[in-house]
Amino acid sequence: MKVSHKDRITTPQAVIVLINYILAAGILTLPRTSVEKVKTPDVWLSVIIGGLIAIIAGVIMVKLSQQFPGKTIYQYSQVLLGKWLGGLLSLLIVGHFFTLAAYEVRALAEVTGFFLLEGTPIWAIIMPFMWVGLYLVFDGINPIARLFEIIFPITVVIFLLVTFMGFEIFEIDNVRPVLGLGLIPVLKGIKTTVLAFLGPEIMLLLTAFMQKPNKATKVILVGIAIPMIFYIITVIMVIGALSIDGVVLRTWPTLDLIRSFEIQGLIFERFESLLLVIWIMQIFSTFTITYYAASLGLSQIFKMKMNPFMYGLLFIIYVIALIPKNINDLFKFGDLIGNAALVLFGVLPLLLLLISKVKGGKT
Amino acid sequence: MKRRKIEIKLSQQQQQQTSQIEKQPETAKVPFTGNITIDLDQVRKELGHNSDVGFREFFLGNTGIRASIIFLYGLTDKELINKYILKSLMTNFPERHEHREVSLKEFITNQALTISDLTEVNNLYDTVSKILTGNTALLVDGIQEVIILGTTKEKARNIEEPVSEALVRGPRIGFTETLSDNTAILRQHGCNHNLSIIQIQVGARSKKELVIAFINDIADPALVDEVKERIKTINIDDLPESGYVEQLIEDNYLSPFPQVQNTERPDRVFSALMEGKIAILLDGSPFALIVPVTFSMLLQSPEDYYERWIPGSLIRLLRFLAAILSLFAPSMYIAFISFHPGLIPTKLALSIISSREGVPFPALIEALIMEISIEILREAGLRLPKPIGPAMGIVGGLIIGEAAVQAGIISPIMVIVVSITAISSFAIPQYSAGITLRILRFVAMFCAAVFGLYGIILFFLLLCSHLVKLKSFGVPYVSPAVPYRISDWKDFILRMPLFMMKRRPKMLHTRDSNRKG
Repeated sequence: MKVSHKDRITTPQAVIVLINYILAAGILTLPRTSVEKVKTPDVWLSVIIGGLIAIIAGVIMVKLSQQFPGKTIYQYSQVLLGKWLGGLLSLLIVGHFFTLAAYEVRALAEVTGFFLLEGTPIWAIIMPFMWVGLYLVFDGINPIARLFEIIFPITVVIFLLVTFMGFEIFEIDNVRPVLGLGLIPVLKGIKTTVLAFLGPEIMLLLTAFMQKPNKATKVILVGIAIPMIFYIITVIMVIGALSIDGVVLRTWPTLDLIRSFEIQGLIFERFESLLLVIWIMQIFSTFTITYYAASLGLSQIFKMKMNPFMYGLLFIIYVIALIPKNINDLFKFGDLIGNAALVLFGVLPLLLLLISKVKGGKT
Repeated sequence: MKRRKIEIKLSQQQQQQTSQIEKQPETAKVPFTGNITIDLDQVRKELGHNSDVGFREFFLGNTGIRASIIFLYGLTDKELINKYILKSLMTNFPERHEHREVSLKEFITNQALTISDLTEVNNLYDTVSKILTGNTALLVDGIQEVIILGTTKEKARNIEEPVSEALVRGPRIGFTETLSDNTAILRQHGCNHNLSIIQIQVGARSKKELVIAFINDIADPALVDEVKERIKTINIDDLPESGYVEQLIEDNYLSPFPQVQNTERPDRVFSALMEGKIAILLDGSPFALIVPVTFSMLLQSPEDYYERWIPGSLIRLLRFLAAILSLFAPSMYIAFISFHPGLIPTKLALSIISSREGVPFPALIEALIMEISIEILREAGLRLPKPIGPAMGIVGGLIIGEAAVQAGIISPIMVIVVSITAISSFAIPQYSAGITLRILRFVAMFCAAVFGLYGIILFFLLLCSHLVKLKSFGVPYVSPAVPYRISDWKDFILRMPLFMMKRRPKMLHTRDSNRKG
């Protein structure tokens, strides 16, 4: 059951998928979550270090996947670890993907319910969104990659436009001093920022779909570097405008930054609607790719067709998305996913790589 | 599963086709006897009851050999028959052909008849079908074959400027209803020995000629085969217009987007051929079909290339803007008025709200009333005789709009939004693409009425999800936007200078990718 030739994606498409996967809920919350840990304006340094760690983890996962050309983690884990252990690991990964999908969907419902559709019940916001996602993932990875390619330029243009208009209220003093309290606070923030780069794990499957799998390392480098730039701009702009004390108090600091300035004389005076537009698109992309990854996993583990799993997962994701009672619950849920992901994708791939090297050496 | 179903359908179609051939009268394929009395009777039985069929019996010169021509009044060229058939057979025929070494038939075909288009058939069925397309059948006593003479006089209108695709600059020439004229225009337009024009007969009951045109050493052979295959699966008794062909060969019949481009302009067809696309022309239709088509091509006009590149690019940008406006303007209005008045500037919001004071309907109903009435106006203006059409626009647009605002049913802002939308949709150069946007506009309005801005985003995502899945003859519908191919972007939103467009679009997998030598 190798990936058919028709389903291959190009290298730029793989980069775009990775970028769109990484950019998601984090872009609205990262300034707060990281400042809470770091407590100095040096957050952007943590972001850079976090990104570098993500790149290392990503490269390990790519090297692992490249050992088994044309096969996804769900297939080669069974080769490496045997049927049962490999199947279990695959199930854990599937679980990671669909809980992450549920988390993103719920975050979407929270933000949309708060800023755009006050009083609309969560299920009413979630359901049509998930149906559109279902419609997209039906036809495999290729339409998904193409859709991401449409979304990405829109995201870049609107994001740069909106954030740089925030220069009006940007104060350089808010981001100074650099390393005023030394390196220790920066290191404290690393775990949070690494989690913002959750996404390279998609390469465990995506490498199998690439036309040129040997370029997967490049995909990791570019695909993490671009979100890193996004995050650095966000963190610096938000802290510069709202100061670290202001950031901690706000649930969605990035949105508050956009809300806190008005530019006269344009059609729009406030730009949070634009930011929300691209943010919803980014959530959509993260949702669809995780949803697809989970469905693909189940279909490959049980060697069955994908469509029934898609319907089943739609329901499961919906139920999980409704579990958190309020927004604090949701953030705790997010931390849980992050911690699990650190073990699942930080430690395990290295072990698997070692095993495959040892096994490969024997034969 | 799907494919298997299609295969079954196909095999059923084939069976039907064979059974149709079998259904023809069994006598039809019986060859002629050579005895003119018996043969003529056969033809008479088949065609004699028609008033427009002419039988003319005569003797070949003074030889005393009986002969007869059968032809259709009106469809044949009488002068040609009189001057070059009857005259050469009746008066100029030598008395004793027996002296000659050739047979009678060879003498008639090779020496007597001075006509270029000449074929022979030997059974009733073929004879009748040839006569009905305007040929003249010549039966001679003692010759078993029937000689078919091409005397068709096509009822063609003059070549005129295309009505549906007007240009300021560009050739003032459009296709007509006659296939041979259209292929001739193509030949004339591009004197290229690699231009292939392949004829296929379609239609089970009324046979129509259909032509596939492509440039041999540019078009992707796989694409050509695909088009031929799809045309062969057409199983219908009659094809009155190329729109039938379009609907029978398109990829996805549920999609609102046209997957085949139609045009009246030969220059457009020819430049498409030069890019590696394939044109399909049907006899009786002035609209040529072009496949494959992508979304961006529907927003392009040949004029983009005839003008210099700066105005060409800017006008193209304007068209993209018009497409976005005509798709989203009313839904944006609904979303911002009924859900997020806080997101628009305060002064603007205040003036809109004050102008909506007294309007008894919610924004959606208000927008629907205006949008539907403008669609009715447009449809009515289309069907009216030409002199009344504009008057209709004035009455409908100005008077009703003004009166509705005065009466306080509609807010003036709504009238502005609707007018901008309508004008924008007129700026789309392809009628079929314009229709698509008109349909989708209403969907967007309903999404906006339910979920506001969020609904519009969902609608946009759904639309994009549909577009990325859609393919036209194997080419992704959203290309060249995605997958990213920088070289194809030179002719996408902008139209780069001609000297920079050195290569043909990569998405079409052309055999010869260089545009310049």
